[in-house]
Formats: sequence, C-alpha cells, structure tokens
Amino acid sequence: MSRMRTFASRLLGLFRKRTGDANLDAELRAHLDALINENICRGMSVEEARFAARREFGGIEQAKEAYREQRGLPFVDTLLQDLRFAFRIFAKKPGFTTVAIATLALGIGANTAIFSVVHSVLLQSLPYPAADRLTVVWSTFSNEGRGPASGPELVYLRQRSRLFEEFGGIWAQSGALTGEGEPEHVRLGLVTPNFLSMLATKTQLGRFLLPEEQGTFSAKSIILSDALWRHRFGANPHLIGQSIRLNGHPVTVVGVLPPNFKIIFPEGSSVPPQMDAFVPFSSNLAQDAPDQNYIRVIGRLRKGATVPKAQAELDSIAAQLRSEFTVFSEQALGLQVVPLHGDVVRNVRPALLTLFGGVSLVLLIACANVANLLLSRANERRKEITLRTAVGAARGRVIRQLLTESILLSCFGGAAALVLGSWAMNLLWSLRPAGMESLATTALSLPVFGFTLALSLISGILFGLAPALGTTSLNLVESLKQSGRSLATARQRPRNILVTAEVALGFVLLAGAGLLLQTLASLLRVDPGFNSQHVMTVRLSASGVKYQTPEANVHFFRELQKNLSANNGIESVGVISHLPFDDTLPNWYSYYWREDAPKTEQNTVMADHRSSLPGYFQSLGAQFIAGRDFGAIDVEENRPIVIVDDNVASRTWPNSSAIGKKLSVENGNFVRDTVEVIGVVKHIQSHSLTDQVRGQIYLLYPRAVRAHMALTVKSSIDSQSLVSLIRGEVTKLDKDMPVYGILPMNDYVEKARRSARFTSTLAGIMAAIAVLLACTGIYSVASYSVLQRTGEIGVRMALGAKPAEIFAMIMRQSMLPVLVGVGVGLALSLGLTPLLSHLLFGVRPSDPLTIAAAGILLFGIGMLACYLPARRATQLDPIAALRYE
Amino acid sequence: MPLAPPRGEVLQGTLDLIVLKTLDALGPLHGYGIAQRVQQVSEDLLKLNQGTLYPGLLRLEQRGWITSKWGISDNNRKAKYYSLTRSGRKQLATETATWERMAGVISRLLGAEGA
Repeated sequence: MSRMRTFASRLLGLFRKRTGDANLDAELRAHLDALINENICRGMSVEEARFAARREFGGIEQAKEAYREQRGLPFVDTLLQDLRFAFRIFAKKPGFTTVAIATLALGIGANTAIFSVVHSVLLQSLPYPAADRLTVVWSTFSNEGRGPASGPELVYLRQRSRLFEEFGGIWAQSGALTGEGEPEHVRLGLVTPNFLSMLATKTQLGRFLLPEEQGTFSAKSIILSDALWRHRFGANPHLIGQSIRLNGHPVTVVGVLPPNFKIIFPEGSSVPPQMDAFVPFSSNLAQDAPDQNYIRVIGRLRKGATVPKAQAELDSIAAQLRSEFTVFSEQALGLQVVPLHGDVVRNVRPALLTLFGGVSLVLLIACANVANLLLSRANERRKEITLRTAVGAARGRVIRQLLTESILLSCFGGAAALVLGSWAMNLLWSLRPAGMESLATTALSLPVFGFTLALSLISGILFGLAPALGTTSLNLVESLKQSGRSLATARQRPRNILVTAEVALGFVLLAGAGLLLQTLASLLRVDPGFNSQHVMTVRLSASGVKYQTPEANVHFFRELQKNLSANNGIESVGVISHLPFDDTLPNWYSYYWREDAPKTEQNTVMADHRSSLPGYFQSLGAQFIAGRDFGAIDVEENRPIVIVDDNVASRTWPNSSAIGKKLSVENGNFVRDTVEVIGVVKHIQSHSLTDQVRGQIYLLYPRAVRAHMALTVKSSIDSQSLVSLIRGEVTKLDKDMPVYGILPMNDYVEKARRSARFTSTLAGIMAAIAVLLACTGIYSVASYSVLQRTGEIGVRMALGAKPAEIFAMIMRQSMLPVLVGVGVGLALSLGLTPLLSHLLFGVRPSDPLTIAAAGILLFGIGMLACYLPARRATQLDPIAALRYE
Repeated sequence: MPLAPPRGEVLQGTLDLIVLKTLDALGPLHGYGIAQRVQQVSEDLLKLNQGTLYPGLLRLEQRGWITSKWGISDNNRKAKYYSLTRSGRKQLATETATWERMAGVISRLLGAEGA
C-alpha cells in the first residue's frame, strides 16, 4: 500500500518539477537562514556565521540532487530527457525522419495487416462453446477419401464411443417458406436435435430441439436464424409457438438463434455458413439404409481426451462396423477424426503462413534500410557523441540514448503502421479466399495492437543496436583528431552488408511472387471444360404441395425452358441439379459400375451425379467427345439413358467406346437404375480449377427428379433485363415459386480463383515494396559513398582520371554488394521456393525463367540506383572537391 | 539514489524513527526545528549533514506518514511545517515496538556475555 503510494507520488513528482524546485529552494534557504541567525546569536560575525551554517548543512546541491531523485522516478526522468532530445534531433532533420518513419510504416503495417488475418483465422478459436474439443468425424471409403456418414453409422458411434461426449449431425437442404407473403427459398438444415446446442450456448428466443422431435416423418418443429426471423417475421417476439408453412406443411416455431450464430464447416463439406432454418431429421437414423451417406458429423471430445486417442477408438469402432455390416466391409469404411478448427483452416493455412513469412522478410528489409539511414546519420553525429563521451558520458548511457531514439522512431513508424495496416486489412478482407469466408472479420483488435507494438519495439532495437554499438566503440582520440575521411571506408562495410542482405531478401520475395503470379496466370488460362461468358444462373426449388409427383416437376421445368427459349436473345437454357463451383448444396456423389461388373467391383468407384435436362451442355458450351445430348423425345419417353464425362468413360471402358454400354447408377433417392450411355462429354471442372476430383455422370431429370435445380441461361441480353425476364417467366408458370441465387456463371469461376488471386496479389505487393526498399537502400549507400569520397575523387580527377573511369569505379564499387546479394538471393530462393510447391499450379518451384527474371530485375534496379550517384561523381568540380570537407 | 548515510552511520530506518518520534512529541515542526531536535536528543552523537534530512522527509511524506504545509515560523518567516499523519502514528507504534524488542534482544545478549 505504502509502496503504491510512493510510486503514485513519485509519478506526480515527474510533472511538478518546476514548483517543486522553487519550493525546495525556499525551504532550504529558510533552513540556512535559521542556522545563520542562530550562529550570529552565538556571537559569530556574519561571515563566520554563514560559513559555519554551510558546514553544518552540508552540500546544498547534493541535498537538492538527492531530493530530486527521491521526488521523481530517475529511470523515467532519464527517459524523458532522452525523448526530448530525440524529438529535437528528429525535428531538425525532417527529411530523414519522414523517410525512416515511412519505411517502417510500410514494413510494420504490412505485418500488422497479415497478422490480423493470421490471428483471426489461425489463432482465434471458433465462436463455439468448448470449441477446442469440437471435431469433425469423417467416413472414409476405399477409393474416395472422406465423406459424410450414414444414419446407422452415427447411431453406432453414439452407442460405442467412450471418448466423445456427444455427436451431432447436419444435412444442408433447401426448402420454401410458403403461406403468407412472397414465397421464399430457405437454406434448411436437417439436424440431430443436439446439433445446435453443441454450437451455441443458448437461443435468442424459445428453445433448442428436443430429442423426441426427431424421426416424426414430417418435421413439426422449426428453429429460425436471426436473419430470417428479422426479415420475414419482422423480429416478432411472439413468434414462438406459432405455426408457419414449410414446403406447404405447417411447422411450429420453437426457437430463434442468436444474431451472431453461423455454422463454420470445412470447405467442400457442403454445409454453407448462413443457414436460414433448422428442422430435426425426419427419419429415425437407425433405420436408414447403411449406405446412404449424407450426414456431416461433428463430435465433442470429453475433457482430457486427445485426438490421437479418439482416432484409435474410432479405428476399432470402424472395424466393428465393417464386421457387422456387409456394405461397410465392401466400402472398406474407415472413420477419421480431425479438430474442427484445423479442418476449417486446412486450405488457407499454408497460404497464410507463406504470406506471413514473406511479410517478415519485408520488415527485415525495412529495418536494414533504416539501419542504413541511421549509420549515415551516425557518422554525422560522431562529433557530438565523442564530445559527450569526452565530458564523461558512459558508453552505456550513450547507447541508451541512441536506442531511445531508434525505438521512438520505430514507435512513430508503428503508429503510422496502424493507420496503413487498418487500410490494408480492408483490402485483405475484400480479397479473402473461400476458406476464410465463414470466419471472423479481421479487425484492429487488442492482440493485433499488441503485436504491432511488440514489432515496433523489436525493430527499433534491431535497426538501432548495430549503429549504436558502432558509433560508441569509437576511439576518442582518433575520432577527435580525424575528421572522418579515412574512417569512412571502414564504415562502408556494414552498409554494404546491409545492401547485400536487402537484395538477397528482395530476391526471395520477387521469385516467390513471380511463381505465385504465374500460378494465377495459369489459372486464368486453364480450360474449366465450359465457357462461362454470358451465362446467367438462377436457382429454383420445385417443392411443396404443388410438386408431389415427378411429372409436376418435369412439366414445370420443361415448360419454363420452352417459354424462356422463345424470347429473343436467349441462346439456350439448361437445367441442372448442381452448378460447377457451387458449394451451397450438398454434393451428390455415389458409386457406379458397369452393368456386368462382378460383385467385387461394385461399390468401389464413385462419381459426382447430376440430374439435367436437354440444353445444359449447349448453354455452357461443353464439348461432346462422343455421342449426343439428351433430346426432347428422351424426356417425353423417360428413356433409361445417361451422359458421362471422359473420366468415367475411360475408367470404365478403357479399350472401347462407351456409347451404347450399360451403367448402374444411383438415382438420387438411393434407388439403383441401369442406363445406357448415349454421350461422352469433356469433364467440367466442378470443385477446383485444377483437380478433377471425381468423374461425372449426368442423369436424365425425369429418372432422377429433384426439387432444387438451377437454370443456366446463355443469352446476349444484359443481365438486369435477363433476370427480370426469367422472373416473369417463372411467375407466369407458378406465382409461388421463389427465384434466388441469381449469379453470373463467371462469378462462380472467379470464386474458384480467389485463393490464388489472394496469395499472388499479396505476394506481388510485398515484392513491390521489397524492390522499392532495396532500390532506395542501394541508392542511399551509393550516394553516401560518393559524398564520403568527394575529396579522393577530386584528387583522382586532378591527377587526370577521366569521368568515364570515375563512373566505372563508383559503379563497380556500389554494384559489388548488389551482385553478392543477387548470388545469395539465388541460393536462398532455390532453397526456399520448394516450400511454395503446394500453392503453385502450372509452374515448377525452381522455374528457371522466374528466378532468372528476378535476378535480372534486381540487377537492373541496382544499376539504376547506382547510376545517379555515379554520374554525380563524374560531374564534380575537382577544385571544389579538393576543398570539400 | 538512497539517502546519503548521515555521519555516525545512522541507519535510514533509525533516522525515520527519530523524525517520526520528534514530530509525535513536539507537534508540527519545520526542517530546521527537526534537525535541531535530532542533534539535541542525540547529544551530538549523531552528527548529520542537515541537508540530507530533506530527501528523507520527502520519502516519509511519499509514504503518507507525514504531511507538510507552508506556514509562518516564530521569527515571522515562511517555512514548511511537517506533521505526523494517522498512518504515521501507526507506523511509529510498530517501529517503536520492533525497536524495543530488538534492543531487548541486544542488551540481553550483551548482558549475558558480560557475565
């Protein structure tokens, strides 16, 4: 308590110096006067009295000094003194200060921005209760990697697992809200009753689902998202308990989720982040067919259970499943557990870490540049420092002062970096790739602020320490005697090393950015198997009471196609169940085999299944390799036919044409169908631009009726009038049919390139900053060396050296560290670029062209930066140069 | 940084105790008065540079044991008067107790050895 009080009082003392000093003076004077008076009373003369009083009192100045030290905080006092001095120095050299702060702001700001993303994506835990124990449980199949689970699997897991607290599951579907007002499509989550309570602590209104609400064949209870509750029901607080219509059936609203609730699932798991409503699974999961895999399973580990232990447990459960169910043993079913957060960021982590590494190189270059500036300033300040040392300043004291200056500088840089960084954060956020979409927004949070502060302090020490140590190690006598010329050559070496380092680091960044930019270029060139130009897509959901029979669905879509095509400017209209690069609906993939395949070859290979009507391939400009598209008569007669892609055709019939062959496929309602191949189409990239994940099978819509379909409309009409045209035609056929998901096909393709665009844009910006900094670094060192050698150049000229010789000498000397830097950078790049390999496409990590280009670019920039100072050297007037001091 | 040790190796704690005791016994006093009293009580055994008293006074004030106020001295001059606070009185009591215990121990020890 009394210590705190002392500290507070001392802190106050810092600011009350002037009045404090005056008071102390008055008090001491009063004391002395009293002593003198007393001495005079004892009979001394005034002189004697004064002298005796002084003796009795002791050193006045010492007493004052001790008093002042007691009053303030000596550490802070010294700091304030150094800061005041530093401010004065900076104000005297505004050019130097501005350049240094701008350089640091670039370096630190770039780090702040990237760190804000790293923090929000990789470091922050997901916004769920006990998020660190949440995992995703995937089913794995012999050939197909990981996928969703079936109902019996989930039930089995719940019964057997000891290490998991609970399991929940979701299947993302679509539904339509009908009844009062405009019909509206909703993203509907079919969930196990505990799913929502695993991801949210409480509802905003009402309650979560109850266990007994599952398996009632048609859902009776529904939970709404905050967004749906607000915009459709006007945030009505009395909605709980009321009945609304979902797909034409009445359901009771039992709860509303909190406003910030969203579902964060790994990319490619077909669970979109924003779902509108949730209903319990209508089936009793235990009675599902064991090979109907559609449930995305999450599990919460018990406290203390680890992922490896859980994996071991799941391995043994999978073995039990295989021995109890023949289907599972045929599929070679396995179970895999991964932490939810790790799985969500799996795709963005490498890119983010690469960018984080790159941006720290940028900071190093910035520090090297500022160190360079400080070194040239240190030479100018040598006299001042020598004088300080001469009058008794200890070396540590001088170093402390110089470090205070550099840290102050870097803190200014850090402050400017916060401004720059928050601007850059917005840029990053607008560029963010799909894998980051569902995560928290980046913001200038406390950890980001702390990171920036720490970075500022560290860089202040980093670039300040070497110049400080160098300047203070001077020999006093030498430096007082000499005015600096001979020292200059020796001092040039650390500056050259800094240039070499800058060029080498810049090389690495340039090479990396070059490779990433080439990746983006390859992605822009890559043929996705279709032409997205002038194709508009909309989504339609033909569900509810009007569409109880397959015929009703077929009739609706066929009429819509016919009516739309009759309009001027419409080239073709396709109908498809799944658009390429659209991850909002659960992917539909299943086993297929040729009709005559032996039992052992069935249930081994999967393909993406799509349901379509004639016109889809034409609207996307897909290429037929063999055979033909579906025709009107095929639809009318509901013929057992199918179109496959080249992947399926060559895998199933490697040595003969697929046309006319029979295939066993699954029709989307877990019923197998034997169909004849009538066409082979070139693979349409659907999940990524670069990987063919699976083969593709296109079923004829009447044989695989689905409610949720998309239109692909190729036309020459501008998109706004096209959309209203489509809306009009839909309303004419069914005034209750919602039209949603209106998006040009180009946007889907662009989405697939987002991740590459993100990394390459950022890497490009970093490389540009690095080159700019390296350029200024080289320039400043070269011009400084010309300045230092002015006298020597004068002598050479006086002795008959030609300007060309002087030019060559300066160029040679200034380019030497650049060349060494290029060499070191080359070696570093060859060592480091393989780390990029998983981010690259269409270019090898050691691509000689890219690396050579980086070298040549840096060399050219070095030449450019040295040219001006070298030319200045040739234009020196020898007389003036000789006199220069 | 700490208060320079007074002549005669007076420990800081001892000086604190003396100052507190002085203020307790005589009421508010200025620095000069305290210095006189210290020398008087110690019978000039503790010869201290009177200037060194002031950092010590400041320290006691910072701890909240004494307060100061400007006033007018007997010979009509402006002077800063120090007085004991409540927590200073408490501090004096504990320090006195500690000191007496200590002195008891020392004298017993010395007495035992002398015998």
